Amino acid sequence: MRSRRLLNGYPKMKRLLSSVTDGKGFDILLVSLPLLFLLAFSGLPLLYNVLMSFQEVDIFSLGRLIRPFIGLDNYRELFAAPEFWPIMWNTMLFVVCSIAGQFTLGLALALFFDTGFRGSSFLRGLFLVSWVMPGLVVGAIWNWILSGDFGVLNYLLTSSGLISENIFWRSDVDYSLWAVVLANIWLGTSFNMILLSVGLAGIPKDLYEASELDGANILQRFSTITLPMMRSTIGAVISLGLIFTLQQFDLFAAITSGGPANSSNVAQYWAWELSFRQYDFAKGATVSTLMIITVMIAAVLYVRSTRHEVRI
Amino acid sequence: MTIQPQIELLSVNKHYGGFHALKDINVTIPKGSFVALVGPSGCGKSTLLRSLAGLESISGGEIRITGKAVNDTPPRHRDVAMVFQSYALYPHMSVRDNMSYSMRLRKASRAEIDAAVADVAAILGLGDYLDRKPNALSGGQRQRVAMGRAIIRNPKVFLFDEPLSNLDAALRVHMRKEIRALHDRIGATSVYVTHDQIEAMTMADHVVVLKSGVVEQQGAPLSLYDTPATKFVAGFIGSPAMNFVGGIVGDTGRAVTLDLPGAPSLPLARTMEPRRQVDVGLRPEHLSIETGGAPGIETTATSVESTGSVTYLYCGGDPEIVVVLSERERISQGDPVNLTIAPDKIHLFDPETGAALR
Amino acid sequence: MSATRHTRLLLFAAILLGAIYLFPLYWMYATALKSGSEIFAYPPTFIPRGLDFGIFAEVWATRDMGRFIWNSLVIATGSMALVALLGTGCAYVLARYRNVWIDIALFLVLMLQVLPASLMITPIFVGFSALGLLDFPRFAVMLAFTAKAMPFFVILVRATFMSIPAELEEAALVDGNSRIGAFALIALPLARNGILVSAILIFMQAFGEFVYSKSMIQDVTLQPASVGLNGFMGPNTVEWNKIMAYATIYVTPILAAFVLLQQRIVSGLTSGALK
Repeated sequence: MRSRRLLNGYPKMKRLLSSVTDGKGFDILLVSLPLLFLLAFSGLPLLYNVLMSFQEVDIFSLGRLIRPFIGLDNYRELFAAPEFWPIMWNTMLFVVCSIAGQFTLGLALALFFDTGFRGSSFLRGLFLVSWVMPGLVVGAIWNWILSGDFGVLNYLLTSSGLISENIFWRSDVDYSLWAVVLANIWLGTSFNMILLSVGLAGIPKDLYEASELDGANILQRFSTITLPMMRSTIGAVISLGLIFTLQQFDLFAAITSGGPANSSNVAQYWAWELSFRQYDFAKGATVSTLMIITVMIAAVLYVRSTRHEVRI
Repeated sequence: MTIQPQIELLSVNKHYGGFHALKDINVTIPKGSFVALVGPSGCGKSTLLRSLAGLESISGGEIRITGKAVNDTPPRHRDVAMVFQSYALYPHMSVRDNMSYSMRLRKASRAEIDAAVADVAAILGLGDYLDRKPNALSGGQRQRVAMGRAIIRNPKVFLFDEPLSNLDAALRVHMRKEIRALHDRIGATSVYVTHDQIEAMTMADHVVVLKSGVVEQQGAPLSLYDTPATKFVAGFIGSPAMNFVGGIVGDTGRAVTLDLPGAPSLPLARTMEPRRQVDVGLRPEHLSIETGGAPGIETTATSVESTGSVTYLYCGGDPEIVVVLSERERISQGDPVNLTIAPDKIHLFDPETGAALR
Repeated sequence: MSATRHTRLLLFAAILLGAIYLFPLYWMYATALKSGSEIFAYPPTFIPRGLDFGIFAEVWATRDMGRFIWNSLVIATGSMALVALLGTGCAYVLARYRNVWIDIALFLVLMLQVLPASLMITPIFVGFSALGLLDFPRFAVMLAFTAKAMPFFVILVRATFMSIPAELEEAALVDGNSRIGAFALIALPLARNGILVSAILIFMQAFGEFVYSKSMIQDVTLQPASVGLNGFMGPNTVEWNKIMAYATIYVTPILAAFVLLQQRIVSGLTSGALK
């Protein structure tokens, strides 16, 4: 009772309170807390990262915000580093080949499971275990599978006559990147498949029946119905693939550690290595800044490809 | 002693950004009356109802319930109950819990709740379904639960947002009667939104016709039918819709000449400004076939539909004139017909403003 | 007759495909059960000769796995709780309104979702060390991981809230609920499944989290199982049966939970990720 009278004495207070219980204030409160959290722990680090890439950072100035500005020196040194371009090339190879592999296999599996036989949805769901497993565990398993002398993959390849001598996947500079690509394709295929399955399920079946009556064969149906109807799904899946592939770190840590001699190093692993192996945080931040810009572009593509679906 | 108005809408305005959804709405609703808000989709009738409930805030004007301004009162303090078009039954609660939800929120006692639920269930014939979840009910049963949820509250005002639009035609006619009977039995004040003018005409004491956020006309159902204030209301109320033909008032002001082949002239019951351009409105059920020699609209039957009880006659072409005949006439497609109408049944409207000319 | 044969054939093919795809998983279990010499046999044995379940107890004890798993659980539980607490309300508001501000917030959330952890760790590490947060390293990991994982949660749960008609809450408002009451008594219970599934996904991700923990937790007694596994796998390790036993202990609970909740997780994932 007293509190009510108290509130009556302060109409502003009362209005604020009633806005929280009954009006927009409630929604603003609900949305602003998490957004502030995100800004504090994602947005600020992002800006801080860009700032650091223009600063000289050593172990002594680590705890300070104001450090000597050195302009574009970090960038200049980075571009001049002998490993810079090979690592960028590796990153591109890793991304393009991973996505190509994941997408092709994922689409093939999705088409296969779309025939909708008994138990198909359960079996399809089982594939997703590759996606829910910790990346480091996936890396450990593939590390062992790809082992040079005792790896089961080499055994299968030699015994089927595909190769004549063992490939040292992890220690051969010609193969180390492909070792990680292989593991990453395995990891991502199921996720691609599930998302593509959703797109396939969204195509009305009578479209296929109509085109069959019009005389289209299975390939023509695929190219004239399936692909065009899946356009926005495919766009979303490929941009998501790009985003996830650029996030892949655990497999590198568990299989090759970027080696040997940077032959399997990619930008996202290199950035971490620079900061936490060589303690060159400024360089780490510089690589991060470059990569984040790339990822942001991918994100815009993703948002645009899902935009009309968001509108529903 | 005057009757205390239950709801007053005083120059209510509503803007959505740049869109002016409600324009200066003034409506007074006496206690115990049944008011229908009717109009085509997008006319603002639902917005008005939601503003009454407090689900939308208005941009200008005042809404009063039992004399008290409620502009800033949240829905829960307005003491109104609402039946939604989709019924909005809580899917995770049984029928019993759905109906007693508001009572439980008010911390009513267990005995009170049980008695009220039993009461309402008996009124609506839901006794056997109290422990079912909404998704185990038919459309008509869901509709009743939604009604029960409103009735149990015993609120100052009942709000209905197109509650029958999801039912099939037969059930709709049945529920129409039932809702009105319930209203009379409870003695409640009801505001009922519909796009179906027949619902509005048959159920309401007072009909408010809205168009583009403006009240076109309000009044008793039959007065809207008999003396529509605008061409829009004239065309909206009545089924089949009123026929409109362009025309010009004759030199004497006692007849109107229609823009039809042969320029037929119809006598008027009142004197109009001579040589004035008008839109002439002729209700299909007021037209009849003249078999004597009196002058009328000479035209041809282009199509004849008979339902058994009435016959629909479609005549001429541009514009087509519909006639409803309650007698079975021996007319077939292509026959010439001569249509006449009683002079006092002719409606005249200003072609520019659409306002009725009296 | 031929139709059933056709579907049987498809089912058989599907099982075969599944077996091939899940072979790495099988290989983990098979290797874990082999002896130290059997893993180097040539040709490799596809079915372990003798089943040695003692290896799990041994690895558990020698690698101090109890401590590692406990730390993983702490980090995963804390992150999940933070994400669910903050993300649910955010998802709700983003689902209920449609205007420019909401679009901006949504775009922001989507953008922050895509930042790779290995790139964000540099500024987070430096910033956290300046703030003194690294003195509470597991908490620091929770904060960083929550920021990383929340957007994903928000997108999934938003799809759930969008599937609940707003009219239900309006009915509750008219029935006597406050805005808070309508959210807590109507919207939340109806979204419960979606929130639960999404929270479980976040838990699984946090349980396997590696980058942040590896970088921010120096004290080995506070490190989670992923960092422990990483430390176990030296460059010239030969103890693959033990490593696989470690991996088995680590992932089997996750896999079991996934298989049990599979249908729900898959449907939750697919409704959110593309919409």
